[in-house]
Amino acid sequence: MNGAEFADAALLRARVAVCVGCGGVGKTTVAAALGIEAARRGRRTLVLTIDPARRLADALGVDTLGNRPQAIPAETLSQLGVAGRGTLSAMMLDMKRTFDDLVERLAESDESRERILANPIYQHASAALAGSVEYSAMEKVFEMSERGEHDLIVVDTPPAQHALDFLEAPQRLLEFLDSRIVQMLIHPAFAAGRVGFRLFQSGARRALQLMERVSGMGFLEDVSEFLLAFEGMSAGFRERAEQVRGLLLGPEASFVLVAGPGRESVRQALDFRRRLEGFGVTLAGTLVNRVHLWPDAEPPRLDVAEADLPRLAAALAAACGPALEAEAAARAALEAARGYAALVERDARATGALREARRGQGRFFREIPELPGDVHDLPGLASIADAIFRETGGA
Amino acid sequence: MLGFSPSRPPASVSEAPLPPFRVESPPRPLLERRLVIVTGKGGTGKTTVAAALAVAGARAGLRVLVAEMSPDEQIPGLIAPGSPASGYQGRTLRPRLGSMQIDPFEALTEYLGLQIGTPGIVRRVLETRAFRQLLNAAPGWRELITLGKVWHLEQMQAGGGPRYDLIVVDAPATGHSVAFLSAPRVVVSAVRAGPLRRHSKLVEEMLEDPERTLLLPVALAEELPARETAELVARVRADVGIAIDRVVVNAVAPQPFPPGQGNLDRHLSALPPDLDLGALPRPRTLAACASFLRSRHELNRGYVRQIGEATGLPVVELPYAALGFEASGSLEALSEALLAPPREVT
Repeated sequence: MNGAEFADAALLRARVAVCVGCGGVGKTTVAAALGIEAARRGRRTLVLTIDPARRLADALGVDTLGNRPQAIPAETLSQLGVAGRGTLSAMMLDMKRTFDDLVERLAESDESRERILANPIYQHASAALAGSVEYSAMEKVFEMSERGEHDLIVVDTPPAQHALDFLEAPQRLLEFLDSRIVQMLIHPAFAAGRVGFRLFQSGARRALQLMERVSGMGFLEDVSEFLLAFEGMSAGFRERAEQVRGLLLGPEASFVLVAGPGRESVRQALDFRRRLEGFGVTLAGTLVNRVHLWPDAEPPRLDVAEADLPRLAAALAAACGPALEAEAAARAALEAARGYAALVERDARATGALREARRGQGRFFREIPELPGDVHDLPGLASIADAIFRETGGA
Repeated sequence: MLGFSPSRPPASVSEAPLPPFRVESPPRPLLERRLVIVTGKGGTGKTTVAAALAVAGARAGLRVLVAEMSPDEQIPGLIAPGSPASGYQGRTLRPRLGSMQIDPFEALTEYLGLQIGTPGIVRRVLETRAFRQLLNAAPGWRELITLGKVWHLEQMQAGGGPRYDLIVVDAPATGHSVAFLSAPRVVVSAVRAGPLRRHSKLVEEMLEDPERTLLLPVALAEELPARETAELVARVRADVGIAIDRVVVNAVAPQPFPPGQGNLDRHLSALPPDLDLGALPRPRTLAACASFLRSRHELNRGYVRQIGEATGLPVVELPYAALGFEASGSLEALSEALLAPPREVT
């Protein structure tokens, strides 16, 4: 697959492009670069980011928590090569607010909404309830996609401990609400006292007794109150969760795996790919970010280069004059080249497994070169897009 | 396209700089606390630092336990290459140095077994589908029970003294670590009475005792890790009350050129870029390599300074190891660098 085919699969035929990968590999940067490329190819694009680096957020104009898209001015875009109908907006997700919005929308009544939002357990738990962060990110993607203001939404997934939480979270939340224990907690017999409790002869009953013994009654009452308020929402929540899942696992979503060049990161990326495929998801491509690449088409021959040091020293002496210790400079230049070549070699070894794994499968694979500085402005992001989509032969 | 652009001076790490924070000087040696919790953003080398600290402790003659949270154990392989996972039961990796993986389910089973006195029944209850569903979704308990287990380990006695002189905890990545560390405090404020509250209080006291416990943040000298470290330190100071006396900055690129050759990259740029130098790369390539290393070094230095300024903490720098820490002996070298007295960088 070449860059154009990758753009077609990942950006043009999809309504949602999901960047997946473990934390710290630059998913946000890659998502923003993909957004620029989509805009260049004429799509009205939204980049939805979770937690961008400050200067990247500044570059995208999303340094404030607005939870709504900010358009990048057409003039700025035209300098990046965006012409025609393509547009680019960016938005930073406010997770707590998205979850609150969802409660507001799905609550049965004003009273039940107020009860949920004011419940101390909700206030502590809504951010921590397993997968709620991941879920609210995907909820926002769905909402923005329903609005139809954009042709494509590029999203970077939250840095989860469990990499695919964003796919699994809705199901887990639903299972939780449906579970026997939760049903027992919100069962009126429970609130009425422990009489009803004895009627159950199940693992759930024993589990609750156990919890009660450790935590004390008051805590379980608060939990019960919270779950009771939440229960009325669960039908709406279920429907919504199914729709979100349908969008992400359907033909309108594309997945791009972003990895780093470290051994551990490559191992996690391979694991990711396997698990994504378990969901029936096929990756549009794999991008390895921040790889040290040798800056020359010709591979280095540094092990036999000692003999040629006098040529370099002579050239340096001629160019820089007698003030320069030319021989020492020539040797230092060789050492610097060796130092850099060691980085190139290390990355090539680490990424070998990823390169190998896609062999024969025709999937898109590209290494994005490591730069000495941070990428934190739009031209920097555009050059990353170039590194991904233009055939350079440099890699 | 692969030409390297010059680095720009980094802007401020955090938007609102923290007020100057006075650090008691000089910080105590790293091995003096019984509990050191290592935290950092994913990819900073936090686990490697935890392993190096455990090695440093064992080399100093301490009885050391290093505990990992991740089910995907890395520490046994780092300390004793080829070693299988240690699991909840733990494994001795070297003389005086053991490792374990704290699995929250196991810890909960053990805790409830101790509370109720019938581990067999507890295990059967915990393994029911109903309880699993509850635990899969319920917030906070993993953090709490994990810290509870750490407290339990810290309290263990052997031969009339503490069983371990040093417990190193490889904590969750930065984003989760404030939630992790504040779990006992949340319980103490939310639960009115009972054993859960009492036990959480003990854990909280352990965390907040600067004589016993230290939080060791690990950062990289790059924008996002630098910012997250500054935010972590600020939030821990505001919400948790655990001692922090230094920041470890990992993988700092060394000065790339020998003394007297500070402008090597510029001198190389003065040559005809495509001059044939035999087996040596062309000047264009030599200049690109030299310029890359110099830019990386300067960028790293800028962020080391910013981390120091934003946190008000002294810094321990660990050198960049191009070949990783798999090579034998390098973990030893790292453990020595880790024990160096932290430096004020402001």
